Amino acid sequence: MSETLIETKNLTINFGGLKAVNKVSISIHKGLFTTIIGPNGAGKTTLFNLISGLLQPTEGTVIFKGTDITRLSPMQRVAMGIGRSFQLTNVFPTLTVHENIRLALQAKNRTGYRIFTSYKRFRSLEEAATKLLEDVLLHDRGNFLAGSLNHGEQRKLELAMVLALKPDVLLLDEPTAGMALEEVPTMLELLEKTKKEQDNTILLIEHKMDLVTKLSDTVIVLVNGSVLTRGTAAEVSEDPEVLKAYLGGGILNETTA
Amino acid sequence: MAALTNIISKNLTVKPVQALLLFLLLVILLIIPMISGMTTITLFSRIFILAIFGMSYDILRGFTGIINLGHALFFGGATYIAGILFNRVGPTLDVLLLAIITAFVLSAIIAYIMGQFAFRGTGFSGVIACAMITLAFGEIVRHTAETLRDYTQGADGLTFRIPEMFQDRFMMYYYALIFLIVMTIVLRQFVRSPTGRVLQAIRDNEQRARFLGYDTKKYKLIALVVAGMASASAGIMFALLTRFANTELLTVQSTLNALLYTIVGGTGTLYGAIIGTGFVQIAQNSLLELRGIHEIFSRWLIFFGAIYVLVVLYMPKGIIGAFYQLHASWQKRKKHG
Ligand SMILES: Nc1ncnc2c1ncn2[C@@H]1O[C@H](COP(=O)(O)OP(=O)(O)O)[C@@H](O)[C@H]1O
Ligand SMILES: [Mg+2]
Repeated sequence: MSETLIETKNLTINFGGLKAVNKVSISIHKGLFTTIIGPNGAGKTTLFNLISGLLQPTEGTVIFKGTDITRLSPMQRVAMGIGRSFQLTNVFPTLTVHENIRLALQAKNRTGYRIFTSYKRFRSLEEAATKLLEDVLLHDRGNFLAGSLNHGEQRKLELAMVLALKPDVLLLDEPTAGMALEEVPTMLELLEKTKKEQDNTILLIEHKMDLVTKLSDTVIVLVNGSVLTRGTAAEVSEDPEVLKAYLGGGILNETTA
Repeated sequence: MAALTNIISKNLTVKPVQALLLFLLLVILLIIPMISGMTTITLFSRIFILAIFGMSYDILRGFTGIINLGHALFFGGATYIAGILFNRVGPTLDVLLLAIITAFVLSAIIAYIMGQFAFRGTGFSGVIACAMITLAFGEIVRHTAETLRDYTQGADGLTFRIPEMFQDRFMMYYYALIFLIVMTIVLRQFVRSPTGRVLQAIRDNEQRARFLGYDTKKYKLIALVVAGMASASAGIMFALLTRFANTELLTVQSTLNALLYTIVGGTGTLYGAIIGTGFVQIAQNSLLELRGIHEIFSRWLIFFGAIYVLVVLYMPKGIIGAFYQLHASWQKRKKHG
């Protein structure tokens, strides 16, 4: 088994009595594609918020590359190599698409706190942004304001922004959520490319089971804030406990085409 | 000097048409004092100086999304610093230099401390906390100025003499114009710097900026220090123009005037503040002249509110925004027609 990149120990958060994440102990292995599934409200996004530092746990620890990062700020965690996208689209709406990506690249490449050098001086950032735009198939959208893109395009932009950070682990929260059905295969392709081209560790939250099956090396099932089981996509989708948890939800039947 | 020319040639990327228009505008502005009376000359000098105050506010609200209700403290504070030093030490150029240094150092320090308190929170509650804390800072400075009667003459206002070089109104116009041009270039460089771009990202979505790894609080502190110092520089120039300081310069209304300049001209554009200042100052001046007709024209606050509401309703992007819209529809018509 490969090296552990992220480890949570007894991770718990209490929202006024509701344990949205309850004693979660998982390990994410380097170079693997791990997907978290679970019914709505299972605590998947909350788990991401705890790992990325948006929320502080009531109990438990988050360990990244062997270091306890539980008390670090989001910013410090990004610097250590944790990049995330959000379930609800989260871009800079009044800046151009190109500028959104350029800013992500600038964050990674540390131009420092320069206040009197034009940002245009950093040509390599501009070129890298253009390249990333091509990678996520948004090359003809560079000069559009990010807020004017349709939902699917914004999701691709978000992916590009996370990729720009070249993180050691990518946390992707439902990158296909709200996408038109015909756009989903493109996103799948992009995710497959990301998985293959870069030796990336990816942690994905996803509902669409055919996507999960195609992409995942391993699947974690979260129910009511706790880990129900972990295994390959085939294993978990045949697990009677998992089927029971989803009963009525019908999520396992949801497909992309 | 070489560095400055370098900056200008390499970074002042303007299109030829824009350059021509700017040149024409400059010629007009250079001619104005030669063909107009003292009132107009002083009004324009005032506009040039207050425009810097407006631009400094735009850096905060327009570019970074910070609501600073105490911003006038930097402007009025610097006017007082200059006035008090001229009175106590003497109206010489050395004292002016001392006043500039004192105002810059103090405004940088106060901006830093203010930001440490104001930028603690994030999200909506953070915005409210920031507004309240900056308001408190502004009120503390205003109250201090009212209390230190020995130095400030309290509510009566402080009159002072200024270095001889600035006493000529005609020349003062040109100093103010040069000051405006220099500060516009400096602030334009600032908003176009990598740091300036991050400020715009913070304005759009601070949380996302944090999750790209930006220490957003540090960037907001930089914005406040730069805006505070720019505002202080305008305050010093204002002292040279008016030779008078009173606590009105330090009130929330004074800050709200700066807000109005940016809203009327167009926020987040920098130049909008210049146009907005011109528009508001000329409107305010015309109203003063109508004071004889009816007493209502002396109630600036009523017109302040009216302009504010009209602009927000009919020109949400200010004069510059309306201009761009006209330009865009004109281009469209040209294409189709
Ligand atoms: N900030 C919060 N405050 C209070 N309750 C929250 C908060 N965030 C999430 N929750 C609750 O925690 C539970 C898990 O939510 P979430 O992690 O978003 O689920 P999922 O992403 O699996 O659909 C839900 O019941 C949700 O209402
Ligand atoms: Mg979720």
